[in-house]
Amino acid sequence: MKLLSRELTKLVFQKRSYVGWGGLLAVPLLITLAFYLNRNNHHDNGPGGVISLAFHNGLLMPLAAIAMLSAFLLPLLAAMAGAYQLAGEAETGTLKTWLMHSISRGGVLTSKWGTAVIYIMVGMALVFLGGLAAGALAFGLHATVLLSGQTASIGHGLWLTLLSYLYVLVGVICVLSLALLFATMTNSSLTAAIGALVVFIVMNILGAFSYFDFLKPYLFTSHIDAWQNLLRQPISWHPIVSGLTTFVIYIAALMLAAWYLFRRKDVLV
Amino acid sequence: MTMPTDHPECPPAAGSESHALAHRAPTGEPPIVLSTHDLTKRFGQTLAVDRLNLTVRRGDVFGFLGPNGAGKTTTIRMFVGLIYPTSGYATVVDHQVPRDKTEALKHIGGFVEVPAFYANMSARRNLRLMGNLNGEVEESRIDEVLDIVGLRERADSKTGDYSHGMKQRLGIANALINSPELVILDEPTSGLDPQGMKDVRELVRELGRQGTTVFLSSHLLHEVEQVCNRAAILNKGRVVVEGPVSELHPEHSSVKLLTSDQARAREIVAALVGGQHVARDEEYLIVEAGEDGATRELVRRLVAEGIGVDAVIPAREQGLEDFFLDLTQSSDVDAGGAAGVAGGAR
Repeated sequence: MKLLSRELTKLVFQKRSYVGWGGLLAVPLLITLAFYLNRNNHHDNGPGGVISLAFHNGLLMPLAAIAMLSAFLLPLLAAMAGAYQLAGEAETGTLKTWLMHSISRGGVLTSKWGTAVIYIMVGMALVFLGGLAAGALAFGLHATVLLSGQTASIGHGLWLTLLSYLYVLVGVICVLSLALLFATMTNSSLTAAIGALVVFIVMNILGAFSYFDFLKPYLFTSHIDAWQNLLRQPISWHPIVSGLTTFVIYIAALMLAAWYLFRRKDVLV
Repeated sequence: MTMPTDHPECPPAAGSESHALAHRAPTGEPPIVLSTHDLTKRFGQTLAVDRLNLTVRRGDVFGFLGPNGAGKTTTIRMFVGLIYPTSGYATVVDHQVPRDKTEALKHIGGFVEVPAFYANMSARRNLRLMGNLNGEVEESRIDEVLDIVGLRERADSKTGDYSHGMKQRLGIANALINSPELVILDEPTSGLDPQGMKDVRELVRELGRQGTTVFLSSHLLHEVEQVCNRAAILNKGRVVVEGPVSELHPEHSSVKLLTSDQARAREIVAALVGGQHVARDEEYLIVEAGEDGATRELVRRLVAEGIGVDAVIPAREQGLEDFFLDLTQSSDVDAGGAAGVAGGAR
């Protein structure tokens, strides 16, 4: 816990933290703005799907935003957050300064993972609150129609949005953990972040071809969109549970590998 | 590289009270603070550190000398758990590294290579952040160590704006913050201007006077001669010699001579002490003169022959420089690089 708070202090003093958060916050604001300026043109509903539901209802703006973000920007920031934690410090030389104190390698790794997770959580909270505020301002908050046709109250709608966010969070933590694992192997944060993104994109491509359908359950990427199942009545839990199980297995395996490599790593920079 | 802003007067060092106790017990030697036991590190084919055995006792200012690439930094990285030894171990205040690394590190302060800090934080915040990793640190202690290294006025500037010399001094402040048993400084004067070097050496001497154990790595012989009481010389990963600095001198009693006419002087000297006892390098005649009286006689004779004597340098004044070159070269028969390396270390 003590280590985690130290790591958070360092995070707060990093300028790049704010660049990522700013980028995330910009997305729901831009979506709202685009919908608002286009409000009289009923034929152009934007990218379609969940996003189009938000056309007249501010309540759905956070969902529209996360649908857009979960495809790329959020995994990108998760990869960077994970990579910077270790490799970023190797680049500036502070990793050796840090490790020369009376702290265990395992504690260092866990606190860095936790810090990156908190970074993404804060980013997602900004998206949620930014989207909700902008949406309410532009379109007001109304009860909403679910994907299965029933109506949900504002309160219930917010609850489902929160659950969706938590699901997506666990999904992108896979990317974050992957980046942290790569960061134990390289001293370049860019290499680690790009490595994680390459894996993410390759998995996405594999998931896009029906020939590779047999792989799909094992790719964490093909589970990320499953949060939309939460927007049905009753909620179809099966894809949610199998998605979460896949995520947790990935995260545990990646972090175990990262710990194994970092435990006795020779820090030469 | 010059750092014109880096010249505060070296303030009297405070702190480290806890170690200013009578560290030399009347009976026996002071306790061992750091020792290594066949410490070995291999990187692939390269044997970077080869069965290193060292002993540093409380109150020592221990010089760790060697040309660049000798394995000094690798050794220090093993002391602080940044690198895992291939075999062997180090003991720091009764805690084995790497086994009890976390415990051992409570007793160590220092830096390896160039001290690095969080660039967007002030010096004060950096010290607070790191100092509290090894125990509670009072704000007054932060002021104290900043005073010691003369950075008090710049304490609230971002360390990213610091010059190299200031970072070096902040590294020393950070090393002292928890008043550790053992202070490890890796080439603390590297990259400093002459005034900065002088300040840092004075500071290390002061630490020694207060009884703090300092492990100082350096490739500068005169630096070690100035500030250390004990030293080890490392070459190609092996300790070539270890002992009190005062004893680390060439055993032979040669005298170096610089005269107005080296060729004639050589003939005269050879007639006096025998040809086999005279040699010549680029600059000096090197004479195995025997006792001190022989030197006096030698100079008298040269002057009588009308040769101007510009310099007479006895063995004890020649310092570690030649000794060091002898040692690092003689242990390097197969590769011709060492002379160049050691030469570069001057």
